[in-house]
Amino acid sequence: MKMIKFLILTTFLSSGLARAEDYSIRKVSADLSKPPQITADYWQNVPELKVDLLAQMMVKPKPAKVLTESVKVQIVHDGKYMAFRMRWADKEKSEAGKLGEFSDSVALEFPVLDNANPPPIFMGYKDNPVHLFHWRAQYQYDAEHGKKGIKDIYPNLSADMYPNEFVNRGSLRPATEAELETFSHGKAAGNPQSSLKKALDEIMAEGFGSSVVREDIDSAARGEWKDGEWTVVISRALKRPNGSVLEVGKSAAFGIAVWQGGQDEVASRKSITMQWQPFKIEVK
Amino acid sequence: MAKVKNWQIQRDMEYPYTEHRPKRQWSIIFDLNKCIACQTCTIACKTTWTSGKGQEYMFWNNVETKPYGSYPLAWDVRVLETLGQQAWKAKEPYYGKTIFEAANENEVAAHFNPKDEDWMYPNNGEDDCLGNVSHGEHITLPHDKWFYYLPRTCAHCTYPACLAACPRKAIYKREEDGIVLIDQSRCKGYGECVRACPYKKSMYNPHTRVSEKCVGCYPAVEKGYQPMCVQNCIGKIRVMGFVNPPWSIREGNPIDYLIHKKEIALPYYPQLGLEPNIYYIPPIHANRDYLLQMFGPKVDQAVANYKNLKNDPVAQGLMVLIGSTDRIMHSFKVKNGIASGYDEKGDEIVSVPVTEPLFERAPFDKDLKAVRNNTP
Repeated sequence: MKMIKFLILTTFLSSGLARAEDYSIRKVSADLSKPPQITADYWQNVPELKVDLLAQMMVKPKPAKVLTESVKVQIVHDGKYMAFRMRWADKEKSEAGKLGEFSDSVALEFPVLDNANPPPIFMGYKDNPVHLFHWRAQYQYDAEHGKKGIKDIYPNLSADMYPNEFVNRGSLRPATEAELETFSHGKAAGNPQSSLKKALDEIMAEGFGSSVVREDIDSAARGEWKDGEWTVVISRALKRPNGSVLEVGKSAAFGIAVWQGGQDEVASRKSITMQWQPFKIEVK
Repeated sequence: MAKVKNWQIQRDMEYPYTEHRPKRQWSIIFDLNKCIACQTCTIACKTTWTSGKGQEYMFWNNVETKPYGSYPLAWDVRVLETLGQQAWKAKEPYYGKTIFEAANENEVAAHFNPKDEDWMYPNNGEDDCLGNVSHGEHITLPHDKWFYYLPRTCAHCTYPACLAACPRKAIYKREEDGIVLIDQSRCKGYGECVRACPYKKSMYNPHTRVSEKCVGCYPAVEKGYQPMCVQNCIGKIRVMGFVNPPWSIREGNPIDYLIHKKEIALPYYPQLGLEPNIYYIPPIHANRDYLLQMFGPKVDQAVANYKNLKNDPVAQGLMVLIGSTDRIMHSFKVKNGIASGYDEKGDEIVSVPVTEPLFERAPFDKDLKAVRNNTP
């Protein structure tokens, strides 16, 4: 097993970008900066790329088997934004919420320093970061309905009282948001995970376990689950300061990771592309 | 995997990180002969740390009745089931597998993943004894029908499974006191720590979407005070201090004294391989086979040693000191029937008589010209 791992590592670490035929991304006359449309006309006649995934095998914990074997991808751009439409089979929709529940999720990965010579696809490495666009069904619920409260998750739950939340405040002024969240440790510590999400996170990473959520977002996402299949569109700005910069007329590459939350997939338990997928952004 | 020394199982074992012991190690000793499951510790912890949203179900400190009680549901049985049958012969190192060694190639630790309903019955099995009490039964020693209470906090393990399993390395063990913390600003709520901790002392907060755990009351510890669960223990069954490994025992340290010198306090489920730092004085009248699976083969000796404390005035003095101060005792002395505890600098923080003096009151108070009685 160690030998196999070594071979895989050397293959992927040394080769940088494995040069298959570049997927040609054509320009459409639409505004892709708007919240993405799953069934827009411009998706018609856009060739579909079948991207094969494997169970993440580089770091523990690993998934026992591949749950998402492939993703069908279509890509278009409008000169400023690029939209990815991804479809994959998932037998149940999972938005997480309760204890021990995880969300269905997909992430796109791009190199940052050099699109022609990307770092290893496995989350980049020190001083050679990758830029991730991470959509979760849970985050989309946040964006569309607001963050689920504890009473939404557990309607029958009863709690005597929460700190600073009094039924009758008497002469006390209303508590501020910060005061109400004083004892919500993640929130009080400023963890972005505890905040309301906008359907997706933009993340920078320099190796496994190093991901940092960006405060600025210039991307949007929307997904729909129907008949055992997710269709998710992620639209991103071509040029992201201190991040992935894509140029019209040039080539670059992307990677994909998919999590089946209903099958307890989260973090390193995921299906991933083992090689960068090359593409060329056409002028027209 | 690195080879690390685990003195509790008396051998080297496999662990994802190399051995690194903190400058000193936070530790609590519980005397299970005295716990009455009043849950004052549980409430002291709850009101201090987990009164917020998403923490409704959380008890960083809980007290469960053994053998039937458990929080989350059947955590002990399920972890042992996952580990599989292992053998540990008396007076020998444990040669069975730890959870790190028993893990399959995809996992950091052999584990089970509790679901939300498993957390919803914290008082499950309370006061249920093993076996039915039938007509004409009487008490025997050890008890034929038995149960005992098991108070539990995070064990701030020397080899934490939560820390080993965190893919973000958001869990760290503090150099200054060995307290294991989840970085609340970095955790992403993957729940890997919840899965991996065999004692199930990492908990997911669905409101903040990050995981949380017992923080060892580090703000109190930094100021020389014991955690809230210890300070508020009305049965005076527990003491917090700093434990050393057997090769660097500190003379006069109450924790080292009870664990290493008197050998009456034992870690629970040491065979899991985490070198947990909460220690228990086993309940001497409970079923010995059950105690054996929980505390390992040294339990017989620990019970015998505990029974002998009555002949040891120094140990008696320490038992009286436990619960007599909110401060952390770094050392203690017993002299002329007086037991004293000292802080880190060696200044006295508490002094108590080993045996309470007996006062006899005359039945008639001459000054008040009144008959005394004990009726309130």
